[in-house]
Amino acid sequence: MREGTAGRIAALIRHDLRLQMRDPAPLLVRTVMPLLLMGFMQPLFRTALQAENVEGATGAEQAVPGMAVMFTFFLVNLVGFGVFREHGWKTWDRLRAGLARPGEIVAGRVAVPLGVAMLQLAVVFAAGGWLYNLRVRGSWPALVVVGAALALCVVLFGMALVALCRTVAQLAVFANLAALLFAGLGGALTPLSMLPDWASPLAPAVPTYWAMRGFTTVVLDGGGLAAVLTPVAVLLAFSLGFAVLTLAFFRLEHRKISWS
Amino acid sequence: MTTEPGPGRGSDAGQGARQDGEPDPYGGVPALALDGVTKRYGAVTALREVDLRIEPGEIVGLLGHNGAGKTTLMSIVAGLLRPDAGSVRVMGVNPVTAPHAARRLLGLAPQELGVYPPLTVHQNLLFFAELAGLRGRTAGRRIEEIAEPLGLTALLGRRVAHLSGGEQRRVHTGMALLHRPPLLLLDEPTAGVDVQTRQQLLELVRDMAAKGTAVCYSTHYLPEVEALDGSVAIVSGGRMVARGPLKKLVRQYGDSAVELTFAGPPPDIPLPWPSSTDGRVLRVAVEQPHLAAPRVLETLGGSAGELVNLRIVHPSLESVFLRVTGRRYDADAEGDADA
Repeated sequence: MREGTAGRIAALIRHDLRLQMRDPAPLLVRTVMPLLLMGFMQPLFRTALQAENVEGATGAEQAVPGMAVMFTFFLVNLVGFGVFREHGWKTWDRLRAGLARPGEIVAGRVAVPLGVAMLQLAVVFAAGGWLYNLRVRGSWPALVVVGAALALCVVLFGMALVALCRTVAQLAVFANLAALLFAGLGGALTPLSMLPDWASPLAPAVPTYWAMRGFTTVVLDGGGLAAVLTPVAVLLAFSLGFAVLTLAFFRLEHRKISWS
Repeated sequence: MTTEPGPGRGSDAGQGARQDGEPDPYGGVPALALDGVTKRYGAVTALREVDLRIEPGEIVGLLGHNGAGKTTLMSIVAGLLRPDAGSVRVMGVNPVTAPHAARRLLGLAPQELGVYPPLTVHQNLLFFAELAGLRGRTAGRRIEEIAEPLGLTALLGRRVAHLSGGEQRRVHTGMALLHRPPLLLLDEPTAGVDVQTRQQLLELVRDMAAKGTAVCYSTHYLPEVEALDGSVAIVSGGRMVARGPLKKLVRQYGDSAVELTFAGPPPDIPLPWPSSTDGRVLRVAVEQPHLAAPRVLETLGGSAGELVNLRIVHPSLESVFLRVTGRRYDADAEGDADA
């Protein structure tokens, strides 16, 4: 790492945290909403799991990870707004002309959403587990590894959208649509066994499927680290793909249109 | 019009020499050296073979109409744009091949206000101090040093969103100063600010130049350049059309004239002096305009009824600008963004 790089990335992270702290409401809502929705989803998942002869299923085994996964994908907006607001405030060129290198600027913009995603997953799992009686049969470290891979995937998906979208309106609509579509196809909104025939073959093409598979492997099947290797590897492959897209299309000098 | 190369120092009075007695740490290297810089946007050439040299401690007022290329020039120096041809050196460092090293040496306050509205003034300044590697008390001291001359000390705890436009502009300028750059690029620093802020900014620029900072100061307000008593670089149509100390340019190009403004197009009147028209204005170039004015009025004859204003023009930066660009300088009309 070059001299001063760590310090500048740390400065960018502290700066992003200050901005987040000025307006924490979106983060709080994105954390509380899944906890509320779990209450609506739990009976549906309980019925589905009981139909699959899962012994002692409460429905939380899928409701908690399902809502956690879906709302983690809503954090894509957080990643995007981190860049677009700089354009709106006309500070992007100041950053570019400043002392931080391009890679440091991107790292600084990615780090806080990554941390927020991890924190949100932890709170949603902990609070959801406590509220809805979630029993994790497998290894907690395995759960953390799946969560970390999911968080990385979400953040890099956000950067890829930033690279591809010219306006913040485009970013918002694609981020929200992707979150809902991925949630539906990946088994976060409905049990995979209840997906329509046309949707089932498409499910593995979205990262949420692999996140859900990783979480349910730990929660329902009692899996450990070895059992989640495949879903984690696929999530990392998705992350790599999004990183490649970002590298291919993201240019610091591109003009982005924010809310005006 | 030939370009007058800058002499390397601001005014005839020696503007630019370090006044703090410190030796020049950069060993006589120009703070900024542009050689043959050309920049095109598609079919439009924004800058054509521009040469510019700014010495440490020199203040250069960069003047030009909207679209003349001032902001493009600043953006190239700051590394935000790449020139299509020519070379740029900031304290001897090429911002194209060594952008990070060059950015350590320059501070840019762009034309568009760029601040973080949700954060306090202190947090805005702290961010750029931290990027410059300053921490803790060192950062705090530097912020105080910057805030004081900008009149921001009492505002450090206030959110920028709650400040007036002039106060925000001062924060915006302060953010460019925290790493003590030897070259400062100020693009329209007084756009839309109150008189007090304008005076504070001009005083700050003079003070920084006295301490050895080279300042490239783009503005629409000619009196500011005259107040700074630095040197002048005039860009027109992407070309550097005049460059030199203010007083020297005024001596060289500053015409005196009688200017007559009519209600309609100026009449065609026979005069023994060269004259030109610009819209409703007839400009009569004379050596001693106060003596020639009565005779000009006599010559008007029946057209005098159309006369709405008569102005005696003495040699000034305004007349230099008119002479070298062929167009009058109207600060109000120049208020919009530059190319």
